[in-house]
Amino acid sequence: MRLYAHSSKCSGCRACLVACSLNLFQESNPKKAALNLIAYFPTPGVYEMKVCTQCGDCAEACPTGAIKLNKRGAYYVDFAECNLCEACVPVCPEKVMYVRTGLADSAWKCNLCGDCVDVCGTSALWIAS
Amino acid sequence: MNGYGGSILRVNLTTGQITKQPTPPELGRDFIGGRGFGVYFLFKEVPKGADPLGPENKLIISSGPFSGMLIPGAGKCDWTTKSPLTGGYADASMGGHFTAEMKYAGIDTIILEGASPKPVYLFIDDQKIQLVDASPLWGKGALAVEKELKDRYGEEYQIAAIGPGGENLVLYACINHDYGRQAGRGGVGAVMGSKKVKAIVLHGTRSVPVVDLKGYRKAGMALYLACKESEGLAEWTRYGTTIVTNWCDEVGALPTRNFSAGSFEGGPNIYGQTMRKEIVITDKGCFGCPSPCGKYSSMKRYNTMVEGPEYETIGMIGSNLGIADIQAVAEANRLCDDLGIDTISAGGCIAWAMECYAKGILTRVDTDGLELKFGNIEATFEAIHKIAHREGKLGNLLAEGTKRAANKIGQGSEKFAIQVKGMEQSAYATHNATAMLLAYMTCDVGAHHNRSWAITYDLQVGRDKVVPEKVARIIWLQNFRPMFDVLGSCRLQWVELGIDRDLYLPALEAITGIHRTWEDLEAVGDRIWNLTRLFWARENEGFGREWDLPSPRFYEEPPQTGATAGQITTFQDVQRLLDMYYEQRGWDNNGLPTPTTLEKLGITAIAV
Amino acid sequence: MNVMSAILKPYGILKTYIDGEKEKAVEAGRTVRQMMVDLGIPPEIVALVLVNDEPKPKDYILQDGDIVKLLAVIGGG
Repeated sequence: MRLYAHSSKCSGCRACLVACSLNLFQESNPKKAALNLIAYFPTPGVYEMKVCTQCGDCAEACPTGAIKLNKRGAYYVDFAECNLCEACVPVCPEKVMYVRTGLADSAWKCNLCGDCVDVCGTSALWIAS
Repeated sequence: MNGYGGSILRVNLTTGQITKQPTPPELGRDFIGGRGFGVYFLFKEVPKGADPLGPENKLIISSGPFSGMLIPGAGKCDWTTKSPLTGGYADASMGGHFTAEMKYAGIDTIILEGASPKPVYLFIDDQKIQLVDASPLWGKGALAVEKELKDRYGEEYQIAAIGPGGENLVLYACINHDYGRQAGRGGVGAVMGSKKVKAIVLHGTRSVPVVDLKGYRKAGMALYLACKESEGLAEWTRYGTTIVTNWCDEVGALPTRNFSAGSFEGGPNIYGQTMRKEIVITDKGCFGCPSPCGKYSSMKRYNTMVEGPEYETIGMIGSNLGIADIQAVAEANRLCDDLGIDTISAGGCIAWAMECYAKGILTRVDTDGLELKFGNIEATFEAIHKIAHREGKLGNLLAEGTKRAANKIGQGSEKFAIQVKGMEQSAYATHNATAMLLAYMTCDVGAHHNRSWAITYDLQVGRDKVVPEKVARIIWLQNFRPMFDVLGSCRLQWVELGIDRDLYLPALEAITGIHRTWEDLEAVGDRIWNLTRLFWARENEGFGREWDLPSPRFYEEPPQTGATAGQITTFQDVQRLLDMYYEQRGWDNNGLPTPTTLEKLGITAIAV
Repeated sequence: MNVMSAILKPYGILKTYIDGEKEKAVEAGRTVRQMMVDLGIPPEIVALVLVNDEPKPKDYILQDGDIVKLLAVIGGG
């Protein structure tokens, strides 16, 4: 199971980012979300979504074993075991592996909670195998 | 402070001093946020008689408790000031992502006061706040400046900028953000330009605390579910506000050739369906919005792109100018955005000028050689350019708005300056739609539709009926709808998708910790409504009933063509509408709040 | 005898014209406008007519099996 995104349906609203940070960190802060949308404006005037494909490259790169599998079968970061070495960040093909030390004391990533899907009004996001 | 950014940021542009004060909890309790904060600071701090383009006026930008939160459409901030266009109260509601970023930067309200000797932009990055020299940006288009500043600082930075329109103090200059959203009406851009503030660059990385996290998440999710399950979501998303264009044409509400009629023979060329097919490429949304109304468009003929046009611009620059060409309307929209002038007022002014030209009141000498005929696309583009730069006789004349322009030119042109209180009427023709006519007459910024849209209601009750129920409906809408501008989120999820407004209440309580019913909120709305009325009275000698009168076009000139051919409201009915309105509002016969009403609303010591 | 019929699905408050039901079978072979008039729906309050999810004018003649959605703009802009 993994998250899918149809970039052409994305409107750039960022509701997904708020829902994500609320689930991951219990905070309303889109900068602490584990997916991303990139705005290409003024031209060509489209949005591009970046979501975790559950490829597992981050888990493989993690030297402390902080990136584990949860009961949904998705990789997630165990905040207690992350040492902020950032080995995971450059290996993520979608660039959705996050370390921002000003915002959190751990790396973070998508754990497939599905809240983003629930708030997306244009059905640009969905979960499937 | 739960649900709030936490601070009031004051920027004195004369001295360069920047101060931050904690937001007083009583302010959050009594005025809630957004437009509420705006009217509070406007009344308290702008001295009576202040020159709207002088250093004593202030530009007050406020987010609300819903801004930036898990609430559908949580992307609205309110820009309040004393209007250079009307001399009265003005506020403009701006979408996009600016308001959310204000909350993350810990700011509820930004107050721009004084005036800078040199062009500057305000830079806010969490705790780092400074004024930066903007001389190299001065003169550039607002869209171009946004790109330049985003390239300089990063995509996460939110930009609000004026164009040459604001710099040149065009009285209906606007402020642009997110490549296509505006703080549009009332000349808020001119106030910003008069303070020589070219742009605001905003970035915040903090979270917003709430009282009840579980309750907040549950209420927010319920709101999103209601939106996603609403009938019509697909259609509203597909067309945005352009969904109404063909229908307005059908019922005689589409302004045509300076509101001389309500139906346009070129209508099908500018309907929403045509637009979607010909130019739309992306549905673009404001912060948190599940029903993105923005339509990002590509105009192949001009090799340009724009967010829009939305219904208002289609009405005011399309049918109102006799232009039956959606690409041309879109390009005119882009010009207005980049140059930084309100498309609604620009359309109203150019339409007035076109009618003057048709009647020989303005000649090619007055129009600097432009053949300013209805339907002339190139002349329209030229006129927009001239207005934004106050160029030539025409530019300088139209930059003042239709009321001043008509007073200057005279020769009967005052009769077809389609405005109320000095603000050009927005895109609903009201020859025979008495509730909507009353809405325009009594809107507290001038002739704008945002406070109390009632076109369908008019059709349901009977267009020409002048009955207390219509008046009651308008008053209820005026107390209720602007509460979204107070809360800092968009009204369109209620207005268009029709979601149950009670779903907002648990969210508000979970965020702020204060229990409020819609009765409580409408009471705040009623209080704010009376405050804006008092502000008009304070700033305008002899303010009263005369100021609420509509353009004579709506009681003297029945359209010759279209769905409302031969139909017109009577002046007697106009006065009857006001009589009933004042009575129901608890105002005197001249339209001023009585002492009893003020006491009932808890407004006591106000300096009028 | 075969009666041609379409399905009417009015949005929002327009359901009050079909006794609050979500949908109703209606006779085809007449215009959308005539169907609205026959049901007591004032045609002028309907902003958008969709037939099989395509926008259609009110003079469109209903075909057998068409699904008709009607949208009224209550709150506006």
